[in-house]
Amino acid sequence: MKKNWQKLKEDARGRKYFFLRAKIISLIRDFFYSQDFLEVETPSLVRLPGMEPYLDPVETEILFGGEKSKAYLITSPEYAMKKILAAGFPKIFQICKSFRGGEGSDRLHNPEFTMLEWYRANADYWSIMEDAENLFLHIAGGLAPAGGKGEGKEIFYRGKKIDLSPPWIKMTVREAFKKYAKIDLDKVLDIQELSRAAISKGYSVEAGDRFEDIFFKIFLNEIEPNFEKAKPIIIYDWPVEMAALARRKSDGSRYAERFEIYAGGMELGNAFSELIDKEEQRERLLGEKKLRKKMGKEVYGIDEDFLTALKSMPPSGGIAMGVDRVVMLFSDAKEIEDIIFFPAKEIF
Amino acid sequence: MASTQDIKRGVVILWKNEPHLVAEFEHIMPGKGSAFVRTKLKNLRSGKVLENTFKVGEKVDVVDLEKRRVQYLYASGDKFAFMDNTSYEQFEVGTEVLAGFEKYLKENLEVILLFSEGLPITCEFPKKVSYKVTEAEPGVKGDTASGRVTKEVTFETGLKIRAPLFIKEGDTVVVNTETGEYAERG
Repeated sequence: MKKNWQKLKEDARGRKYFFLRAKIISLIRDFFYSQDFLEVETPSLVRLPGMEPYLDPVETEILFGGEKSKAYLITSPEYAMKKILAAGFPKIFQICKSFRGGEGSDRLHNPEFTMLEWYRANADYWSIMEDAENLFLHIAGGLAPAGGKGEGKEIFYRGKKIDLSPPWIKMTVREAFKKYAKIDLDKVLDIQELSRAAISKGYSVEAGDRFEDIFFKIFLNEIEPNFEKAKPIIIYDWPVEMAALARRKSDGSRYAERFEIYAGGMELGNAFSELIDKEEQRERLLGEKKLRKKMGKEVYGIDEDFLTALKSMPPSGGIAMGVDRVVMLFSDAKEIEDIIFFPAKEIF
Repeated sequence: MASTQDIKRGVVILWKNEPHLVAEFEHIMPGKGSAFVRTKLKNLRSGKVLENTFKVGEKVDVVDLEKRRVQYLYASGDKFAFMDNTSYEQFEVGTEVLAGFEKYLKENLEVILLFSEGLPITCEFPKKVSYKVTEAEPGVKGDTASGRVTKEVTFETGLKIRAPLFIKEGDTVVVNTETGEYAERG
């Protein structure tokens, strides 16, 4: 099998993606600097990684103070970013490597990938949606040839035109379930009801299936493939089970202020109005820890320092965005290996 | 019963009581739930293609396929004739079975056809096939302007690929049929 660098040596056509990649990342930085965000750096190597039950942090060890200590590579810099918010920096962003050991290597995944996170204090997920819209316009504008068509507001991905001009399409998870799957999510917010609804639609529901598994069977089969594709789409207000670090909606409902951005058939970013209630956060993390244990995943402690920091953290909005996918979208790349020199499947 | 871990391109599964060929598949990790695999399934009875996304680990029925080693004879229109090497039975199959590999066919090439209920469904194509070069411009410097150091060569079957500059008429060249690229000099 030919390595990526060998293909690039033989066929110069693939090289353009790397120039676009560098340009896009520079435009991202440029955007946040122009908005007075502070660029920060946080550790890749930590003692207590994120607790997300479906992510697998890469495990390693370090020799520290003469003793061997377990260490992990971050799945996202989220905890550290929030500690910086708590320290009194209101607008911060970071572009860093993140690692997810269990995600394999395919068209849209590489275990080591580039993450963009930004946070705004005294703001919520609505401001983050606006930032995302402006960021994409800034990238498109920076890449568009002067005087070109579409005024830098349109891009083509895999032959389909995407209009980036705000506002993007916004739909709650509940609206999406109603529109595409004809399910009233309010009535099926527990596993028995949701199972019943799924089975009546012909889905197989197995003994070990959790709420989120059944949720995604419906979401990935009936909802996500039918999203409007002419514009990016924001799907917001997720069931609280699927938003462990997000603030519950103020109306006391079973939904949390989380949104996801989809464009070009890719999930690009995941954002929250951040949960800053220390006790509620502890409970949710304990729940996730329990689930990790039940699923036979690596178990580690809760980052108490993170919980302490929440007490000093202002209400904030924040997002994690996959830079590689953003690069794919704007460079019209078919696969992640078109835009990274050394995909993991060549290494391992 | 098998699980979705067995789903890959070319496998036939029983889905909603009908046999479906897995034409494409791709992993999806929603992050907040288990991994999923998105497939394009071709209904072997109706020919209709549909998408379905399975949870990884979900139970699926895999249909056993009968493998027959066959030899390529000739093309007639958009059909391709093969002969079973043991029974000497002949079959005609279309491009939907060969799935793009038809351009790599050459006389007497052996491939494996997979049958379900007596009908050819899909093929297993040899990964490496060698061809005789019938046309290769000598002394071409390659397309150096674009940074490419290869040139186009034509085989006895009419297939054209890009090959290194040292390949000349009369050489035998091995092609990787999965990537469509030059593999080595035969």
